[in-house]
Amino acid sequence: MSFFSKKPKSIADFEKEIEKLRQKKKLSARNSERLEEYEKQLSSLKTAEEAEQKKKARQKKIAIGSIAASLALVTCIIIAGCISERGTVEPPEVSPGYTISDFSTGTTTPSDTSVDSSSSSEASAPPATSNATAPAKESNSSFSISEVPAYSGSPYAVINNNIPYFTESDYTTSSYEYYSDLDSLGRCGVCMASIGKDLMPTEERGSIGSVKPTGWRTVKYDNVDGKYLYNRCHLIGYQLSGENANTKNLITGTRYLNIQGMLPFENMVADYVKETGNHILYRSTPIFEGNNLLASGVLLEAYSVEDKGEGICFNVYCYNVQPDISIDYATGDSSFAGAQQTEPPKQTEQPNSPVQNVESTYILNTNTKKFHYPSCSSVKQMSDKNKQTYTGSRDDLISQGYDPCKKCNP
Amino acid sequence: MTVIVCLDNANGMMFNHRRQSRDANVIRDILETIDGASLLVSPYSEPLFSQAEYRVSVSDSFLADAGAGDYCFVENTSVAEFKEKISKLVIYKWNRDYPADFYFDIDYANDYKLDTTLDFCGTSHEKITKEVYVR
Repeated sequence: MSFFSKKPKSIADFEKEIEKLRQKKKLSARNSERLEEYEKQLSSLKTAEEAEQKKKARQKKIAIGSIAASLALVTCIIIAGCISERGTVEPPEVSPGYTISDFSTGTTTPSDTSVDSSSSSEASAPPATSNATAPAKESNSSFSISEVPAYSGSPYAVINNNIPYFTESDYTTSSYEYYSDLDSLGRCGVCMASIGKDLMPTEERGSIGSVKPTGWRTVKYDNVDGKYLYNRCHLIGYQLSGENANTKNLITGTRYLNIQGMLPFENMVADYVKETGNHILYRSTPIFEGNNLLASGVLLEAYSVEDKGEGICFNVYCYNVQPDISIDYATGDSSFAGAQQTEPPKQTEQPNSPVQNVESTYILNTNTKKFHYPSCSSVKQMSDKNKQTYTGSRDDLISQGYDPCKKCNP
Repeated sequence: MTVIVCLDNANGMMFNHRRQSRDANVIRDILETIDGASLLVSPYSEPLFSQAEYRVSVSDSFLADAGAGDYCFVENTSVAEFKEKISKLVIYKWNRDYPADFYFDIDYANDYKLDTTLDFCGTSHEKITKEVYVR
């Protein structure tokens, strides 16, 4: 009978068997093999258990968010005058991967952007200062893609005079985060959070290279910062929620959307929360047209709760575009559309092939956001404070906002 | 007078009538920099200095009111029309990108001379660069 037929199952079983084997004065080759095997499996079991505990803790946190989102749902239903059979607070039914008509017709969901305008105006704070821009106009009641102007050079467009579509019942001074389930096409939906300091990450971000959002293509262009057209783009930035390789929080976004469009807003929110300790109600909604696999853009809404929007208040649409690149939003395919292109786009991965994730070791400069080969001369000049060793894919590093060193060209 | 401002990578200052960022270490450094001299601010900026040991002077017309030796901390006000009065600029650079719809309206790189520069760590910023420009 093979010893595997008596293989331990629990951590305690493994530990007991390992102890027994270790106490033997001399191990046979077979027992050595068994000991090695058990030690590996014990390690895997412990890792899995730790991951499970973390998952449970996170689910507990999300559950709080679900309750808040459910309350928002009930309010939305009441306000919209819709008849709903769901009279009790229950986990929200989110309509992930919204189509344009969802927004313009006002489908009620916990994250519905079609809410009563009186609620919106009640929730909005008066401008914090008077002379920066023209006085705010009245706000509308719902978002429609038709009000978004065509992209004309700015990475974002202001929506509803920067007044978010939140309702009074959405506001809470407790932190939570909520991520919609993927839809039948595998697309992300609305993500919502009450961002407080306790939700923010305390450690460096890990790899997200294993996630392949809808419309994902690994393609390079010389005119794109960092070359890669697409990034795995967090709907709620890692710096805000600490949510890393969550498939419900990652869409395929152009480098331009990620860095020029969304990141500046995330920076503004992150600084505010860190400096004040207050909460920001934050909603990030990818806008998919029809059955497109690539989002046309992302609607970002934010509002500082404790000071009633005095610190942060915005509602913007960030375009998922890349200057001089033509994109097919149905598939994610792209082509150069500018005047000069020194070489054709480099398609380095087939659409349905496994994620290219070749791992190498690099040295990161966390200050300049450059990465280098360990042998690069720049590494010697780097301050220890800014130096970090990283093992993973180049693609993933670029997705995290790092650029390759021009000297060693990793 | 000396004008003190905080700028992002694109010389932006505000978005939707709200400051782009803030940092307690910048406020601390401003108070050290002025070293007891008069600090004039707009009503919008006053809460940033609520913990200061001495009172700042708050007025909507603070730039017009400022004397030659005074310091003005500017967040939401155009300064171009007061350019002739401004002998010195203290610029805190966040070294970050933020959304902006209101920008600093003095071409400091061409109209002033960089005198000193200093990098320091903020409470929520990895590296803040303080640059002092003189006529």
